[in-house]
Amino acid sequence: MAGMEKYALIITEKPEAAQRIAQALDYGGKPEKNAEKKVPYFRAHRGKELVIVPALGHLYTVVHEQGTRNYYPVFNFKWAPRYLAERNAKNIRTWVEVISKLAQNAEEFIHACDYDLEGSLIGYCVLKYACQGKEKDAKRMKFSTLTKEELEKAYEELLPQLDFEQIEAGKTRHEVDWLYGVNLSRALTLAAKRWSGRYATLSTGRVQGPTLKFLVGREGDIQSFVPIPYWEVGAEVEIQGSVYKVEYEKKKIESRAEAEAIVEACQGKTGEITEVELKEFRQTPPVPFDLGSLQAEAYSFFGYTPRRTLSIAERLYLQALISYPRTSSQKLPPVINYRTILSSLSKERNYKNLAQGLLERAELKPNEGKKEDPAHPAVYPTGNLPENPLSDPEKRIWDLVVRRFMAVFGEPAVKQSIRVNMDVNGHLFYLHGRRVLEDGWTRFYEPYIKFEEVLLPPLQKGEKVQLRKVVREDKFTNPPARYNPSSLLKKMEDEGIGTKATRADIIETLYSRGYIADRRIVVTNLGFDVIEVLNEYCPNVVSVELTRDLEEKMEKIQNNSEKREKVLLEAVDILKPALEGLKEREETIGEVLSDAIKRAKIQERIIGSCPQCGTGNLMILFSRKTGKRFIGCTNYFKGLCKTSFPLPQRGTLKPMQKSCNACDWPLLEVRAKGRRPWRFCFNPNCPLREAREKRS
Amino acid sequence: MKCKVCGKEAVSAYCKFHEGAYENLVKGYEEWKRALNLSWKEYLNGVISNEYSGSWVKEVAEQLLKSEG
Repeated sequence: MAGMEKYALIITEKPEAAQRIAQALDYGGKPEKNAEKKVPYFRAHRGKELVIVPALGHLYTVVHEQGTRNYYPVFNFKWAPRYLAERNAKNIRTWVEVISKLAQNAEEFIHACDYDLEGSLIGYCVLKYACQGKEKDAKRMKFSTLTKEELEKAYEELLPQLDFEQIEAGKTRHEVDWLYGVNLSRALTLAAKRWSGRYATLSTGRVQGPTLKFLVGREGDIQSFVPIPYWEVGAEVEIQGSVYKVEYEKKKIESRAEAEAIVEACQGKTGEITEVELKEFRQTPPVPFDLGSLQAEAYSFFGYTPRRTLSIAERLYLQALISYPRTSSQKLPPVINYRTILSSLSKERNYKNLAQGLLERAELKPNEGKKEDPAHPAVYPTGNLPENPLSDPEKRIWDLVVRRFMAVFGEPAVKQSIRVNMDVNGHLFYLHGRRVLEDGWTRFYEPYIKFEEVLLPPLQKGEKVQLRKVVREDKFTNPPARYNPSSLLKKMEDEGIGTKATRADIIETLYSRGYIADRRIVVTNLGFDVIEVLNEYCPNVVSVELTRDLEEKMEKIQNNSEKREKVLLEAVDILKPALEGLKEREETIGEVLSDAIKRAKIQERIIGSCPQCGTGNLMILFSRKTGKRFIGCTNYFKGLCKTSFPLPQRGTLKPMQKSCNACDWPLLEVRAKGRRPWRFCFNPNCPLREAREKRS
Repeated sequence: MKCKVCGKEAVSAYCKFHEGAYENLVKGYEEWKRALNLSWKEYLNGVISNEYSGSWVKEVAEQLLKSEG
């Protein structure tokens, strides 16, 4: 524990940030690392003694003021340490105790958590509750990167007080979310439990419900979709020894007879070029990354879910390699010093030439987007190079951020598109070409550009071309595309529900509750039934408009143009009738949900189609005699198939929805206490079985 | 009343999900007929075997084929 000498206590959001801040502020760059009951803290010297102690994200949360978990509505709440509300948060007690002890000898308090709603609230709660009401005296460090220079500056230019409006907005958001989450989830869970006598967690929330509603709407469109037939005419022409695909003037032909007539009229005919149209267009550089566009790009190129991208970006931020990623800004203010960043990046082999090219320019002006964030600029590289080797995902995200940063300073790219019109027996066909005239910003962002050149030979009006092949292509209209985690996040952003910090987690919750499945999102029966119940008995709680409206009011608290109490009362006004509606129909709702849970549980046990009979499904079953589990075919009950396979009796089993590489049978995952999860192919004749047995 | 396809509560012959699918199915026939000159039965079979058809639509088409013999 720190000595009796008085010191300034600096509160950070996470242990890695505490270490960075301690290193940056200590005059020698070597702060003393201490730990009490496994809680790390640092002592640094900077004219006076500094003690830097981290929180562990949120140490405090909203809890029910008193009472059990078995009823609703509940509208009385208080803020309390997380260990009082969550079973797996026991370590929080020690954390709070250590911070409280360190606070006793502190004469000055500095809040140095991330400068946003969540960060401001984390530090505020620590100062208010663990440091016995020091939130009024505390000062605030404001920074967007964890680089030494910026941290030193933030410390020298401390804000005289906390950002109370931001804290108030953060508090309200947590409280409103708690009111929605606790009451609606309890209503659903208790209805199902009272009907079936079995407990299964069913949850919904202020943003979770409307988000699931989008998905249910899209799923409904897909499941009710009737494809409509249409036809295309595809053709190839030969020009100067090379073959090119050409496109028929009408993209969709509505009857087969018409398509056949076109093919017949053009088959084996020679065409004549009637026009060559050249168009040049300029493609402006992209705008800097805000969190949403970084998540979308990372999903598109690396397949990372929004939550994974955020977690990688946060690790890069904590290593002081990129700026704070939870930002809505698409602006890069000159104060970040473009030249210093580029000059540092030029020390990295991969970026040397590109960065030096930019540094040679007299003026550097980023192509900024419209979105702003009062707290942080867009995501940008700090210029620091990795001190330790990065993991592959970290390398990818860092490279993406660095290249995007350079690209925004690039010149527009100039491209040319060519359309050659050719008349074939009275029918018009188009030949398309495209090429890059000036690569501009694309050379900085090259690995992440999707542009394929189609180079055409010089062609003249009046030139004859031979059609090599004309075919009728049978097509059908496609159903609407399924959402994926990235497009769903974009939809939430566009609809103005959730925040940049919470959207990715809400999507993951929908997966973990079993309401949705797969990358190309499919809504499960359980997801359908939950939305059906909410839509029927309390449509307001899944209304996108009301959710957006509440969201906007919470934003206004941050600008001091709305009051927390008013927003809370409004939330209660929405919830009260909704909960009454749910309570009145508890029995009906319980029946619907219990049925859905039962079907979902059965679905979870289905492994795949039976490789023996081909018509049944293999399922995890339990023997009535011994109680032991095994795999059996669902056709067994119809007396059609007696296929069965033994299963390990310990650990939990989960079908992987993947097939064995060697035999193509479905795979299972086994999770047992004290062992790493392992994959399991139950085919007794699997070619890899012997090798696996030898290995184990 | 119970839905003819899934047995859920329904106001008409189908629950609201299958009712929507049925309406789309009826609307779609006009376009299929214009494009391919098919009978209603041939159309239903075409929809059932099409990979882009929604599952509710297929269920309704199957139910109609059965009931219409």
